[in-house]
Amino acid sequence: MVVFEDHSIKNKIISYLSPAIKDMLAGLTDEHLLRLEEIRLRSNQPILLKIGDKDYSVDNKGCFIENLEKGYRVKDEDIYRTIASISDNSLYAFEEEIKRGFITIPGGNRVGLAGQIVMKGNDIKTIKDFSSICFRVAREIKNCAQPLIPYICLPSSSMVMNTLIISPPRCGKTTVLRDIARILSSGSDLFPPRNVVVVDERSELAGSYRGVPQLNVGPRTDVLDACPKAQGMVMAVRSLSPQVIIADEIGRRGDVDAIQECVNAGVSVITSIHAGNLDEVNKRPVIKDLLTLGAFKVGVVLSRRNGPGTLEEIIRWD
Amino acid sequence: MLLKTLGITLIIAGCGSWGLLGARRIDKRVAQIKDLRMALGFLEKEITYIHTPLSRALERTARFCGTPVSCLFTESSKGLEAREGITAGEAWMKGLQALKNNAELKAADLDILSTAALQLGMSDVGEQKKFFSLIQEELQIQEEKALQEVESGRKLWAYGGFIVGAMIVLLLL
Repeated sequence: MVVFEDHSIKNKIISYLSPAIKDMLAGLTDEHLLRLEEIRLRSNQPILLKIGDKDYSVDNKGCFIENLEKGYRVKDEDIYRTIASISDNSLYAFEEEIKRGFITIPGGNRVGLAGQIVMKGNDIKTIKDFSSICFRVAREIKNCAQPLIPYICLPSSSMVMNTLIISPPRCGKTTVLRDIARILSSGSDLFPPRNVVVVDERSELAGSYRGVPQLNVGPRTDVLDACPKAQGMVMAVRSLSPQVIIADEIGRRGDVDAIQECVNAGVSVITSIHAGNLDEVNKRPVIKDLLTLGAFKVGVVLSRRNGPGTLEEIIRWD
Repeated sequence: MLLKTLGITLIIAGCGSWGLLGARRIDKRVAQIKDLRMALGFLEKEITYIHTPLSRALERTARFCGTPVSCLFTESSKGLEAREGITAGEAWMKGLQALKNNAELKAADLDILSTAALQLGMSDVGEQKKFFSLIQEELQIQEEKALQEVESGRKLWAYGGFIVGAMIVLLLL
């Protein structure tokens, strides 16, 4: 896999941090930045950098350390200044995003928020008194899905196979789905380009900022950003004439019904589910029903064994 | 004798002008509070209806209102546009300092405006609406108080200046 863009992390993520923390992280090397997955700021706790599978911190002098206890303790002011910077001092303009618990910043990186939840009836109204912030680096790994394409686009069929990607969290399923969208949308010598719709409920696949995809999802891809999957899939079939619909992390009854509607309408669906293997998928009655009905033709099991996106198994349900 | 007459004239004219300027300042304060109220109303609409990012909303408000009230919004907007980690509250206080230097507002007026630093931009639309309503109501009260001061204060300053001048002349004679 080839990783692109990581030199821009300094501009696209670190520039949003409070000035004190920004100065401390100025010494991060390119090697660190290349493998950086998360930056976590928790009030009165050490600043935490997830690099690969390990957690690190930085001390007051900006030295990179493994002993988290010696790390710089994040102040309330750091949290406030970082939130102000992320929101351009305009929290009112991010009400919907805050309700969902995250803000997507330019570059498609996601900033998760925690604090005091304010309810209105049964719904979350907003979050106030923020206590922690989690920056998740959006990785764009071009061609990471290339090994899957021969299974998804069969030379003998003009249709794209309905595919279910099975993967535990943090194993690269979103990155793989994004690359599938890009590849199918672009086409190649071996297969024609397709109209793709990405139903991006959590703004992770396309990393949209103010509705505009920040990550490459291909030239023939429409993105329904922050749209509930079930409604988005049905809406896309009716209005955007897609050949392929891509959505992340299905699991609810409504998602299953929408997938069936798409499949019956002749639209291919590529989606993912949180599970370690096929047995775990079969333990979920809603998804098991879908598999029994033959909605999916290809299953792809991912793991983190040799790093995120390790291809463990290809399952055929022909 | 000619020199003496010239001196008396200069003293009375100087003190009189000082008094007239004072009377004009009272008039200006009323107009400036009114301008501020209208500008805050404009800013409120930008924030609560159009959801314009704060730096741009401040800049647009600066263009909407006249001087010296515009300097509050211009300076605040500049502070945020610089993107040097400055918060909305800090930018607002910087703008307020510029306003203080250029306007005829009293400390009480500026105190009301400074409360905005705690809230500006950093809450949801509902909360922003509430705080803008509150601040505009408080400014309305200040405006009414300033209007009452105009009637009595204008005469006091205008006549007072000449009277002070005349007294100085009498004392010197």
